[in-house]
Amino acid sequence: MRRLALPVAVAALLALGALVALEALRPRAGLTDAEQAQQIAAELRCPDCQALSVAESQTAAAAAIRAQIVELLTAGRSPDEVRRHFVERYGEWILLAPVAPIAWWLPVVVLVAGIGLLAAWLWRGRRREPNSVPASSSEAARRQVRDEVEQLDA
Amino acid sequence: MPMKHLRWAAMPLVVVPLAWLLFTGLGNDPRDIPSPLIGKPLPSFSGTTLDGTSFSSAELMGRPAIINVWASWCIPACVDEHPVLQSTAADYRDRLSVVGILYQDTADDARSFLVRYGDGGWPNLLDASGRIAIDLGVTGPPETFFVDAAGIVRARHIGPMTGAAMAEQLAALGLDQ
Repeated sequence: MRRLALPVAVAALLALGALVALEALRPRAGLTDAEQAQQIAAELRCPDCQALSVAESQTAAAAAIRAQIVELLTAGRSPDEVRRHFVERYGEWILLAPVAPIAWWLPVVVLVAGIGLLAAWLWRGRRREPNSVPASSSEAARRQVRDEVEQLDA
Repeated sequence: MPMKHLRWAAMPLVVVPLAWLLFTGLGNDPRDIPSPLIGKPLPSFSGTTLDGTSFSSAELMGRPAIINVWASWCIPACVDEHPVLQSTAADYRDRLSVVGILYQDTADDARSFLVRYGDGGWPNLLDASGRIAIDLGVTGPPETFFVDAAGIVRARHIGPMTGAAMAEQLAALGLDQ
């Protein structure tokens, strides 16, 4: 089990890295004004409901904000300026995604620390119990190991 | 192994403060967010009042003002705070302006509210487009903004005004009984 855990952890980390890279490098088409407005609305918190975006909410306040997003974009303001317009009035609370970098880095730091701890634990475990099956094992011992591993994988 | 015991003893040192932090967070009002307007000039606004006259926030300059965001459907909070606003408006008649902003409400419903609970006589603006509420960053009625004589927003009170909260905010604006 322990012997499998390290390759699995490394593989999981590699897969995660590949996904992040793929998402970051994915080509994006330019957005129309309506799509842009919809995207900004989806990032803003509806002021008078719980945990809904302005895009999803049916309240009059959300409708007023949607109307103003369209109006500001049509007036030539950039998406960032539109977001700032609402942050200046409601505070960063209005943004559904946190702005503070720590909120984004903390999970990554915890993940890496967790993998580090796991690796350290595996490393210590391996040193403490030397291989129970020596390299020059008999055919029977090898079969036994294979069976055990297959059982674990099942 | 003393090292191992030490490690177990250290556990509560981490777990207890963390649990306390998370638990106290449960008691916080998620609406109670500091307003980015504090310390900044009041956003200018204008509109039509319930009695049909036009009103501009420029009229507020020169003396402290209370801006009360309310709605006839905001029950019981707006009903509860109404007497506090009325007595404040009466007590500080010449030293303080009071303005009401209607939040997602109709003129008829707002008028019925004032007939039923008493009209303090201050202007109440209809905010049909919701623009004033956005400019003030309102998350829901009632909300009350305290503005000093220079037009700077000094405080925002979320939820119904109480006599004690009102006295505290008025004192901060330099108004004494």
